[in-house]
Amino acid sequence: MRAWKEEHPSRRAVGAFPVYVPTELIQAAGALPIWLYGGGGSVEISHADSRIQSFVCSISRSTLELGLRGHLDVLDGLVFPSICDVARNLSGVWARNFPRMFVEFLHLPQNRRSPSAVPYTIAEYRRLLAGLERLCGKPVAPEDLRAAIHAHNENREAAWALLDARRRTPWATDAWETYAFLRAGAVLERETHTSLLRQALAAARERGRRPKDKVPVILLGAFCEQPPLDLIRAVEEAGCYILEDDLLLGSRWFRTSIPDGADPLRALAEAYVASSPPSSVSHYRGTPKQDLLPQRCRQLGASGVVFLTAKFCEPALYDQVLYKERLESAQIPYVHIEFEEKMSAVDTVRTQIETFVESVLFE
Amino acid sequence: MSDEDAGKALQKRLLGEYYQSLGDAGRSGQKVAYLFVPGNVVELLRCFDMLPVYPEINALQCGIKKMAGDLILRAENIGYSSDVCGYVKNDIGLMLSDRQSPFGPLPKPDLLVCNYSGCNTFVKWFEALAHFYGAELFVLDIPYLRERGPSTADIEYVVAQLEELADVCARTSGVPFDRERLKRVTSLSYAAEKLWVDVLHAARSRPSPFDAYFEAVFYMAPLNILRGTEGCVEYYRLLLEELVSRQKEGRGPVPEEKFRVVVEGPPPWPHFRSFWELFKRWGVCAVASTYSKVGGLFDQGVFHDPAQPMESIARYAMNSYTNWNLGLRLDLLRQYLREYEADALIIHSVKSCRSFSVGQADFRDVLAKEEGVPTLMVESDLADPRYYSEAQLKNRIDAFFESLAHRRLVGG
Amino acid sequence: MRTYVAGADVGSTTAKVVILDGEGDIAGTSLGPTGASIVEAAQRRFQEAVKAAGIDEHEVEFVVGTGYGRFKIPFGHTQVTEISCHARGAHHLFPGTRTIVDIGGQDTKAISVNELGDVADFCMNDKCAAGTGRFLESAALTLGLPLEEIGPVSLRAARPLRITNVCTVFVESEIMSHMMKGETVEDILRGVHNAIAGRSISLLRRVGINPEISFTGGVSRNVGMVRALEDQLGLRVNVSPLSQFIGAIGAALFALERARGGKLVAAPVEGGT
Repeated sequence: MRAWKEEHPSRRAVGAFPVYVPTELIQAAGALPIWLYGGGGSVEISHADSRIQSFVCSISRSTLELGLRGHLDVLDGLVFPSICDVARNLSGVWARNFPRMFVEFLHLPQNRRSPSAVPYTIAEYRRLLAGLERLCGKPVAPEDLRAAIHAHNENREAAWALLDARRRTPWATDAWETYAFLRAGAVLERETHTSLLRQALAAARERGRRPKDKVPVILLGAFCEQPPLDLIRAVEEAGCYILEDDLLLGSRWFRTSIPDGADPLRALAEAYVASSPPSSVSHYRGTPKQDLLPQRCRQLGASGVVFLTAKFCEPALYDQVLYKERLESAQIPYVHIEFEEKMSAVDTVRTQIETFVESVLFE
Repeated sequence: MSDEDAGKALQKRLLGEYYQSLGDAGRSGQKVAYLFVPGNVVELLRCFDMLPVYPEINALQCGIKKMAGDLILRAENIGYSSDVCGYVKNDIGLMLSDRQSPFGPLPKPDLLVCNYSGCNTFVKWFEALAHFYGAELFVLDIPYLRERGPSTADIEYVVAQLEELADVCARTSGVPFDRERLKRVTSLSYAAEKLWVDVLHAARSRPSPFDAYFEAVFYMAPLNILRGTEGCVEYYRLLLEELVSRQKEGRGPVPEEKFRVVVEGPPPWPHFRSFWELFKRWGVCAVASTYSKVGGLFDQGVFHDPAQPMESIARYAMNSYTNWNLGLRLDLLRQYLREYEADALIIHSVKSCRSFSVGQADFRDVLAKEEGVPTLMVESDLADPRYYSEAQLKNRIDAFFESLAHRRLVGG
Repeated sequence: MRTYVAGADVGSTTAKVVILDGEGDIAGTSLGPTGASIVEAAQRRFQEAVKAAGIDEHEVEFVVGTGYGRFKIPFGHTQVTEISCHARGAHHLFPGTRTIVDIGGQDTKAISVNELGDVADFCMNDKCAAGTGRFLESAALTLGLPLEEIGPVSLRAARPLRITNVCTVFVESEIMSHMMKGETVEDILRGVHNAIAGRSISLLRRVGINPEISFTGGVSRNVGMVRALEDQLGLRVNVSPLSQFIGAIGAALFALERARGGKLVAAPVEGGT
């Protein structure tokens, strides 16, 4: 990050808090979008403890800690989307503590069925864009926006190619590897990241690994705060093939390409309203997510679901109950693990997952 | 009958009739809409003869009546985490107990109107109710006040959704939308809101004739439950008369008003009385509170307006206290401390409601450290009796007022 | 006749009584476990302290009670919270004190005081007991060491570990997982002390860290904790050999103030508390 700043002294860097931030706008303004995924296990929380109560999720505490320790000074701005009450209030805490930074709260429509949702999203994106233009000191032309959408489309295509390959041949690449490749994109220029992803895919094809007797599962719940890498590995090592997950959801937001045609801002807004992937922090547009899950398991051939939810993440914990009910009536096994960024008891989790795997295999 | 009794008697009768109507909903065939208190659109629902049910109010009543503990456990038994909102679990617990509230049986929803103002958990709450009841859910998306006031786009967006909601209500109830009726209802709301602001302002006098936290939370009930009716206006007329007479006699909620405080955060309903006692014994009177603004910031000039009913509903909905950004909330605390000549700020931080709580430590940081306002922050919960530790709270509250009193003594 | 006053600090684990003479000097002290009966414990400590002072019970003019058991002290004339008492006591022993960190069995307090020793602001750990003295006790228990030894042992650490979880409930599994990885007891303990120091400093930040800093409460007798705090603060902290009596000393100072005819601010006592 700091190296990038030194190489590009005139360019700005703008952070994005998960999940739904249109980083296309940040890139179009000429700034580098940086996804913030908390401090992981490496940052000691000593400043943020005095600001955020102990009943609040790790990502909000560790992100604030990074800020208060000056580790995020390389950022010129930070965008918080309307995902939950904690992220929303954190935007206010941020604005007070970092007055020199451009801090924006983006209200994304929760009523995506309303015909007015698209015009509203356009207005909201315009507001963000205006702020970014002020920050970067230049107006954004439609071709800037089209170029950013194009780069993002290519990046998402490369990401999906990797994810699709894992879904078809889960033995060829580990989920934690794919995750690491995707996560690297948080601090890279889209184009650089895209070529990295393409290399990763090519390398995976050459590996020639053989299938093992593992349980294919869907992994859900970590759309915002990220579990420790060791935890993802533990799920795999305990005997699961992760066919699909919602890790880093925001960075590979859309399945299909966004048209970079005549009205790119509208295209972005329409993409959010009509085809952003469901998660616990975006109210469903059609069928509730929990009703779709059993069907999705069958489509993919997943034998069960592993829920990894961040401790204190209210949206995920509410959904958990509804998912669980639908899975039970469809007789699909699941296991629920709560994690924190700083988590030492990975061994206990491994035992839980192993038990789950055994129950599926020896049923 | 004294004025005081007249006000109380009317509140009791009106709320009694309201709960009676909920019990009769099955027989009367009236359609039932569930909705939330902050930013609610009850004026619109009244135009379709729909019965409003407020799950938050049911939850707080269960808290006061000491039922919350058992109901929360019932919800946890079906998988709700100990870390999620106690109100939601209380409501799920009620659903699992055939909706037997402390005031009698509650009807099932025909329509869930999720006016989510200032709280994302509202969406998760009604998604769950939609799942369990199979009722239609309308998410009325109310933008957060991220800037000084609502933008034109914000207002247009909410108004457009209100029109869509009116169509849904007409379809559900079979009653056509009568815009003249909406004007009449909003003018009744306006009348009650004006009187309520006068009530709140009465706390400016010394001593304050009422406690603007511990008593205001009961005084605001008709405004939240019965807004847009004649009875509601009458109630506030009587209440104001009563307070004016108390004011003339110099009577207040404590025998001697020693400390005037502003309170931020919801009360711990399951231990409401004992929490209040911890302050009363020090002669503390709350002169302003933010919790009494969750149902609307009328004292900041946000009223329903019969001349522009839909637009005023949209503005009202965006101006509930927790839908204000933290900067605006901090300014409001400053305003109250000044306007009501308060000696200190009390922050009651509750685990259930992150919408209230996250950022409160920053308020404390600014006000106590930078501006020298004595500030006490204590923690428990609004719904879950397990998070209330009497000894711990008493210790902190005593220490705080001890040091305030001492400073006063030394400072002369 | 000389004036004597007393301060009685009845906490959740220990009861302490201090007798002061009219000059504010300590005439006698007594300390013992609180046990099941607060009344009995307080009574016994009071009798012992009076004996140590070589005086009669009736010579004690005024008694102030403090601590969680303060309302149940039968011979107390009035009560003051331990927050005010710790501030007063620490300021008495170290007049330059501006900030106090008090780590006790079940809570940690950060107190800022003015130049007179009056409380200016205070904060306590939230409901969660993570990072209090209880965590150290559980850690000692898990490692099979007496509580007094863990501090000195921690000072011998070669490569202090980073302990991530200071939750009292999970202390055992946290420590066991490090033991299984072959980490030394010294390194683990130093990690434990550092983690708790970190939590306490985070609390101190809420009231502001202004020197001098005094460290009080039962945990202040632990040299490992003193070192960990000093290292992380980059400042020296005051610790008194009388650290466990600081609350009682503060209470006795309030009693002295009253005995000299000053007004005393205290909560009105209601029946049955």
